[in-house]
Amino acid sequence: MNTKQYLLSAWNWSPAVIGACVAASAAYAAALRFRFPARSWYFIGALAVFFLTLTSPLNALAGGYLFSAHMLQHMLLLLIVPLLLLLGLPAINANPARRWQGFRLPTLFGWMAGVSAMWVWHERTLCELATRTETVRIVQIISLLALGTVFWWPLFGPQARQRISPLTGVVYLFSACITCSVLGILITFSPAGSVCPIYLHPPDQPGILSLIRHDWGFTPAKDQQIGGLLMWLPGCGIYLAGVMAMLARWYGAVETDEGAATQSTQEERPQLVPARATARKQ
Amino acid sequence: MNSTSATISPVTVLAGAPAERGLLSWVATVDHKRIGILYLVTTFGFFLVGGVEALLIRLQLAVPNNTFLKPETFNQLFTMHGTTMIFLVVMPALIGFANYFVPLMIGARDMAFPRLNTMSYWLLIFGGLLLHFSVLTGAAPAAGWFSYAPLSETPFSSSTGLDYWIMALLILGVGSVAGAINMIVTILTLRAPGMTLRRVPLFVWMIFINSFLIIAAIPVLNAAIVMLLIDRQLEAHFFLGIQGGSPLLWQHFFWTFGHPEVYIMALPAFGMISEVIPVFSRKPIFGYSFVAASTVAIALLSFGVWAHHMFTVGLGHTADLFFAAASMAIAVPTGVKVFNWIATMWGGSIRFTTAMCFAIAFIIQFVVGGLSGITFAVAPVDWQMHNTYYLVAHFHYVLFGGTLFGMLAGLYYWFPKMSGRLLSEKLGKWQFWLAVLGFNLTFFVQHLLGFMGMPRQVYTYPDLPGWGAVNLLSTIGAFILGFSMLLLGANILWSLLRGQPATDNPWDAWTLEWATTSPPPAHNFQSVPPIRGRRPLWDLAHPSQTDAKNATATPPGESAPEKNKALMIVFIVSEGFFFLMLVIAYLYFGRTPGAGPTAASSLNVGRTALFTICLFASSFTVWRAERGFKRKDRAAMNGWLAVTVLLGAVFLTGQATEYWGMFERGVTVNTNLFASSFFTLTGFHGLHVCIGLIALLIVLGLTRRGEARDFQSPALATVGLYWHFVDGVWVVVFSVIYLRLLL
Repeated sequence: MNTKQYLLSAWNWSPAVIGACVAASAAYAAALRFRFPARSWYFIGALAVFFLTLTSPLNALAGGYLFSAHMLQHMLLLLIVPLLLLLGLPAINANPARRWQGFRLPTLFGWMAGVSAMWVWHERTLCELATRTETVRIVQIISLLALGTVFWWPLFGPQARQRISPLTGVVYLFSACITCSVLGILITFSPAGSVCPIYLHPPDQPGILSLIRHDWGFTPAKDQQIGGLLMWLPGCGIYLAGVMAMLARWYGAVETDEGAATQSTQEERPQLVPARATARKQ
Repeated sequence: MNSTSATISPVTVLAGAPAERGLLSWVATVDHKRIGILYLVTTFGFFLVGGVEALLIRLQLAVPNNTFLKPETFNQLFTMHGTTMIFLVVMPALIGFANYFVPLMIGARDMAFPRLNTMSYWLLIFGGLLLHFSVLTGAAPAAGWFSYAPLSETPFSSSTGLDYWIMALLILGVGSVAGAINMIVTILTLRAPGMTLRRVPLFVWMIFINSFLIIAAIPVLNAAIVMLLIDRQLEAHFFLGIQGGSPLLWQHFFWTFGHPEVYIMALPAFGMISEVIPVFSRKPIFGYSFVAASTVAIALLSFGVWAHHMFTVGLGHTADLFFAAASMAIAVPTGVKVFNWIATMWGGSIRFTTAMCFAIAFIIQFVVGGLSGITFAVAPVDWQMHNTYYLVAHFHYVLFGGTLFGMLAGLYYWFPKMSGRLLSEKLGKWQFWLAVLGFNLTFFVQHLLGFMGMPRQVYTYPDLPGWGAVNLLSTIGAFILGFSMLLLGANILWSLLRGQPATDNPWDAWTLEWATTSPPPAHNFQSVPPIRGRRPLWDLAHPSQTDAKNATATPPGESAPEKNKALMIVFIVSEGFFFLMLVIAYLYFGRTPGAGPTAASSLNVGRTALFTICLFASSFTVWRAERGFKRKDRAAMNGWLAVTVLLGAVFLTGQATEYWGMFERGVTVNTNLFASSFFTLTGFHGLHVCIGLIALLIVLGLTRRGEARDFQSPALATVGLYWHFVDGVWVVVFSVIYLRLLL
């Protein structure tokens, strides 16, 4: 089997995944009464990433062959899909009668959810179990999506008053980044197979393993190293992007807080003329 | 600006105080301005020492096969030059500027903790003296400023120089962390009304972010050198390549500190440039929020890229690839800054004062250093160029052509405020051009030496074609550069004796430090002008053309935290990084257990769990004590405090029993790496418990004596936070060491 054949054949048209996508789209469209704002693109992005993560060859590779593929999948499901999903949700005008709409998650809870989803599922036994057993794997996927949503909720929840202040958000994200970096570092520098031994000797269908090991050059050591590095550097990059979004919100809020929201493009100009005028005076 | 009405209290009170004069008043001062000046004078002294060391190095390298210096002396000189310039010149000089100007720029009367501030300064003095004392003991350290293991280990560096190096760095590190904590708390709690965090001058913002870098990076270094000290003094072998010890781990630890350190030395200079360029371009900074946010991005990224210092040690292609990409990513926020500075100058009416000239030279030279830095991010280029003079040229372009030129810009800009006299522009221009000429002559040609393959840190070189001539050029440049620094000294002396008196605001600048007299009175401000935007003095002078978007009387609410609690939280974060490194070391050495005792064979999980419960219970009791305090119930408070102390003591006894049992079986800190990392981690935790106990006892003593009569003192709440932290660390340590055994 060569690479092309493999990439064409390894798709997994899981009815559950397709069903989930269709149901989510239907619910979304119904909730919006088919009037889609621009932020719907985020929602479409979330569905697309979710769909591709679980149907493409990435899923097949993650299921026992490549730890790095597993890590990529893990990060997409935990960090990217829930984030895009939350960004795609329309802003809700809270109805004071419905108290649950103003529900605010404890900040530490959200943080713990995001961080523990990284650490717990990479505990040796659980990692092994999730790769071998289909049921545990489904639990893992659902838990990643749920924990990711809980993690991003205090930052990008649909209601402004459910969110923490942007500077707290910076601390929230930076500390999460450090914690995940530590795990990434440990994985990167640990001996091959010490995180999830199943990837050392995958239950192989004929030909695929030799394709991965020889044609693609993924030795178990390199594979685990890539996995750790994915969590460490690009993983931190996601948190860092979040930090930048927080700062943008913080600095952006100056105008709205202080009631001069519309002048953002012209604000620098009036200053230039008097500035030069003073200089000429001297 | 002085016409603003004088308020009553500070002036009248201070008029009655004796004038601070004489040497003792400087030794005993707690005034942030005097401490700032002390910092700057001290660093100028160390700068001369480090500069002479550099000139000696250049003299030795002026001609091939030179015998001016012995090889050992040469090694000591470049080690001391690097250590001095980084820890005794650049870092403290930046802290000195921050000390003087941050309180002024935010409209405060002093730092949040003036006496802590004094302590930071004196630790600098004593650390510096300790480092140089090593010369008197026979040998200065000679393993480079990074003291790579195993060269820095006893078998290869048996003289005491390195021990002095370690102790000096520990002391300097404590001083830097204390200073950084002080800065953070000052900026968080003492800003004048209206001076929101979104309006602080960029210098203040960068010092703020920089202080977070310091509290995170310095503890990493402290953990590493403590382990090195244990290796050297207690015969462990963390960083020796025997029985599982790892010289590579030293490099990882050192550069985890070392790379953020580069930005610790660069960010404040960025801040100074961001003050100088707008004022002399007569335009507000272009894209304030971009400059500020990119600072945060640089700070965060700087922790993720240290391995690009280690491409040549063989991390493997995979790691090289990721780190190359991450390292290049740092160029983006830095580039954002450079473009913002250029855009600020664009279309402005630029006044080429000496300060502005240094700022412009900073931008150009920093970009050169940045570009050669990007070439190092490409791993194959790094393999070729690492440890050649190309690297020397690169980091001198960043640190000298960048940071030091930035500091000179800041010095020429702020000197009138500090001294009340202007520096001579004429001498200044001479100094500027000589410095630019000397600097570029010294270091630009070193790029070429690097291409020709000349290795660094080697005391001499053979007479290969071209090497001698280029080296001679570099040496001539170094002496021109040295002369330009003497001119600076002359300029300062001339100005202090004969200089033209400075007005309050000689540059027509916009930030608060220019609203008070030059030099400022001891209490800084008679009254702080109203702050409605990022340029309060502009708004004051041009009421009809205020910075429109920020003009409002009521600032958005940013409530200031209580300063003692803030101090403790920041301190805890800093301590957290220290313990993080020790935990990582424990896990790292636990991956492949060597011969000898292991965690499973020497630890008693059940017994320790019992004592652990005592420690966790003490978190509860200290919380009860705080509740008693809030309810003004002295008996409950004292009772619960006493129980807390008792529980803490029980925990320590438990630890002592565990240690004793291990000693009985011959397991000590130098037995194997499990023992070394176990004793280091739990030992430092135990030390923290002891300190916490002492603090609790002090609080208990104070309350029993009735000092906290009014129930206003923040002491208990602050110590309580620390106690919770000590327990929190034990949660991690207990899980990592003990609970893992049960899995």
